Amino acid sequence: MPGMWWVVGVVAAVVLATAYLTWIAARVDRLHVRVESAARALDAHLLRRAAAAAVLAEERYAVELYAASRIALDAEVDEREAAENDLTRQLRSSPLDPEEPAAAAVIGASRRLVLARQVHTDLVRDALFLRRRPLVRLFRMSRKHERPRYFDIDDPTLNTRPELSVG
Amino acid sequence: MRIGIVCPYSFEVPGGVQNHVIDLAEALIGLGHEVSVLAPADEDSPLPPYVVSAGRSVPFPYNGSVARITFGPVSTARVRRWLARGQFDVLHVHEPFALSLSLLAVLSARGPVVATFHTAMTRSRALAAAQGVLQFVLERITARIAVSALARKVQVEHLDGGAVEIPNGVAVAKFADAEPLPGWPGPCGPGEGGTLGFLGRFTEPRKGFGVLREAFVSLAAQRPGLRLLVAGPGDVAELHEGVPEGLRDRITFLGQVSEPDKARMLRSVHLYVAPNIGGESFGMILTEAMAAGTTVVASDLDAFRRVLDGGRAGELFPTGDAVALRNTLAGLLDDPARRAELSACAREVVGAFDWPVVARRVLEVYATAIEATDGRVFDEEWIGPA
Repeated sequence: MPGMWWVVGVVAAVVLATAYLTWIAARVDRLHVRVESAARALDAHLLRRAAAAAVLAEERYAVELYAASRIALDAEVDEREAAENDLTRQLRSSPLDPEEPAAAAVIGASRRLVLARQVHTDLVRDALFLRRRPLVRLFRMSRKHERPRYFDIDDPTLNTRPELSVG
Repeated sequence: MRIGIVCPYSFEVPGGVQNHVIDLAEALIGLGHEVSVLAPADEDSPLPPYVVSAGRSVPFPYNGSVARITFGPVSTARVRRWLARGQFDVLHVHEPFALSLSLLAVLSARGPVVATFHTAMTRSRALAAAQGVLQFVLERITARIAVSALARKVQVEHLDGGAVEIPNGVAVAKFADAEPLPGWPGPCGPGEGGTLGFLGRFTEPRKGFGVLREAFVSLAAQRPGLRLLVAGPGDVAELHEGVPEGLRDRITFLGQVSEPDKARMLRSVHLYVAPNIGGESFGMILTEAMAAGTTVVASDLDAFRRVLDGGRAGELFPTGDAVALRNTLAGLLDDPARRAELSACAREVVGAFDWPVVARRVLEVYATAIEATDGRVFDEEWIGPA
């Protein structure tokens, strides 16, 4: 009967559509979970850099660097980006010798921060891209998740030659 | 840490990506990590103990050249099995946008994925393909590494994302300790003698062998005993094209050389010449010559200038200018003090490219990818058992 085929076709189409939607929803969830993890890691590396900078500042009696690192450690959410940028500027103007343990800790922490920032930014971009897709918006797949936010700081790369400090 | 690395190309064919993967795997093992490498290979070919075969590779025209790759349902099953057995903390794929094992691995993986991009393809078919598919693959890659500034630029401009630049490593000790070929490099005094070296596909115009040949012919006519040592794929007839009959016996051709022979060849010359005209994204061979302690003369390309630290670690000459090259060569062959100064500086610069140093930086990227995937945050001690 021709009528039967019509039903089979509709059922198949519904199954395919559901599978596709489920798959997209899983992507949305996974990306948001990763953005959260990346944000936590970024937070940890920011704190570690600020702490390392504070130790270095104490050793050198560097008042401005110490202030910048304390402000970065204590900053509220909305002031944090500016505080971290200040700390980056302070670190760039301080001489950092990889042979000195406190400076080596700052260099290492900065390098990890560069990576954490990069990965976080990429993930936020991917998540926002997915959130803009019509299907995702239509079915409100991202309603469980907070809208990811870029952490907008300058590239924290220090001007020392990072390669030389690792070995 | 348990690390799974996927190499898209077969180890039976020599190539930059293959060497990179082997050296990286060995450096990581040397740092105390567990590494398994998945690569296409024939069942009976000898493989290092840490390499797992993913089956035979087939020739496949890709991006203007022929790559030997593995793709299809059988390969997919093997990739999945390897991933399930390996229980890796991190998966590291190379060149994930080629239709290859790497792409299969990215699509099958669940955990943190790090991808390394080697080529600086400006507009390949893979990149021009449907943006949605590309986005889906990219989404699964947690962190990206580019081996050169050029490869990184492609990432930023065409794929709308960042990549960390970590240069190719070089196994410094392998090159520094190699034994020169018997009878080489021979004498080199003021106005006579001296040996030049060139390695690569001399038939390919971009490699610039024509520039070196012109400079050699003009210099050899006035400088008795000047010799040229060439290694690479190709045949002697093409090599001798344009060289006067009388000078041909002063060119020695080694054919294609193995990795250990390459190191010996680089130790057998006074000056290594890289006359490339363009298209070189990193200049691997320069770091290898520097590691061998050989003075480098290279064309003034961006990539070369970076590797040679702006000309501090090797002499640069205007790209494609045979006369300038000839004069540079003549000057350096007569000045052993300058050669020693350049190669001493080169040895210092190349330390930053030594594999254990590079592998530690790759481990930092692994740590970052794991942090973003399962939320663990790693500290410094975890990265290297120092």
